[in-house]
Amino acid sequence: MVADPGVPGAVRAPGRVGRAGRLNEPRAALVEASFEGTPWKVNHQPVAVVREEWRVVDRWWTEEPVDRRYFDLVLETGQHVCVFRDAEAGCWFMQRA
Amino acid sequence: MIACLVVPGFELRAALRERPRLALEPAALAPAAGAEPVVGAVTAAAEVAGVEPGMRLGEALATCPQLVLVEQDPAAVELEWEGMLRRLENAGFAVDPDGPGRVYFETRGVERLYGGLEPALERALAAVGSAWDPRAGAARRRFAALAAATVARPGHAVVVDDGREEGFLAPLPLSLLPLSPDRYAELEGLGVRKLGELAALPSAAVAERLGPEGRSAWSLARGGDGSRVRGRRPAAELAEALEFPEAVGNELTLRRTFGALLDRLLARPERGGRPFRKIGLSARLVGGGSWRRTVTLRDATADRARLRAAVAPKLLELPAPVIELRLEGVELAESVGQQLELVQPGADELGSRLSEGLRQVRASTGSGSVCAVVEVAPWSRIPESRALFVPRDE
Repeated sequence: MVADPGVPGAVRAPGRVGRAGRLNEPRAALVEASFEGTPWKVNHQPVAVVREEWRVVDRWWTEEPVDRRYFDLVLETGQHVCVFRDAEAGCWFMQRA
Repeated sequence: MIACLVVPGFELRAALRERPRLALEPAALAPAAGAEPVVGAVTAAAEVAGVEPGMRLGEALATCPQLVLVEQDPAAVELEWEGMLRRLENAGFAVDPDGPGRVYFETRGVERLYGGLEPALERALAAVGSAWDPRAGAARRRFAALAAATVARPGHAVVVDDGREEGFLAPLPLSLLPLSPDRYAELEGLGVRKLGELAALPSAAVAERLGPEGRSAWSLARGGDGSRVRGRRPAAELAEALEFPEAVGNELTLRRTFGALLDRLLARPERGGRPFRKIGLSARLVGGGSWRRTVTLRDATADRARLRAAVAPKLLELPAPVIELRLEGVELAESVGQQLELVQPGADELGSRLSEGLRQVRASTGSGSVCAVVEVAPWSRIPESRALFVPRDE
């Protein structure tokens, strides 16, 4: 069996359906935060420095509003991470900002 | 509507085609060499005796001492599956296969041909053949169609009306979801046993507890996304096989046979001078079962020596003497030759190397594996809205 040679990229093997996807989707993160909401542990690693903090409030006019509090952190291991707390969902995520 | 056609235990059924008597006895698909020792699909008699797919081998044999283990037969699976897809294509269905035993197709085009959705599904079931006990399902979304096919009786179709997907899915078990065993156990531990119970949970809580896998399962439990069905491009046959009068395990004989098959394959006029990008080598083994390896070539070639050097070493991996050796051209390159240049500009050379590399990746991993990043809203304050990755098959 051979893929139709006239059509570039045609394969005979059962193909996966290709479709567009979002890049840089948030991933769930395990974050322990102080009472005012500043993270002090991310995935069990202590936070060394909070470099920056900002809020993103957007799409409040839609059915999927965005209300996030971002933290740009350096962990004690030297790793640089960016986490946010989703106020709508009430949980933490990790994402490249 | 999207239709899904399912043949449960396809690998076992294909392996039993030569020994139909075993289909009525307690039998299970043996684990592949080197894989985890768990049984695959089981026959109805084995199921009655308490053996379940995924059971550990020792436990299965202790549960049913008469259990017959059937060797995996990937070549027969490939052959039967291709035959089934071709029968569906000959009946007018643009099939989108999703692994052996599961295929999707769009019914819009064929409904007018066969006079409605149900007659079209009946035609598809007839094209597969009643011996395979196929089941069909149709719905607006892929996952709902798969769920409908899974609950249908053999030889019958279940149609889920538009807008009723969630209600239809709610009482169905979680096992329909493509989750790892750990996740099933975790969900069961939480008291979630039905799709409806999972769908009723808040999305963020599921994402936090189960990660991206759980989030996509949650989305499926609510009917799934609206991904389209893309009919495959029908393939042409380009293969050569040689059957031995008696089993052969001698490496020299096998290499000579391979050389003869390669010469015959290279001489096939259908090739039209085009070089091979991917080649498959398979064998029928003496004790039953089969063996198969595919090789994706770094540069598409029709050079005998290079093909031999790339594929012949695979013969050393044969687990047993063979009674038939088969060489198959899985994919051809588009061009008939490569025009070399005396001095090639640096950027062009890099571009052509990149294109060649991407073609190689596509040939090796299948359609949809190469994506391009497209910036859609680089100004957005929401990071995941800035760019998409889009499959590039051209």
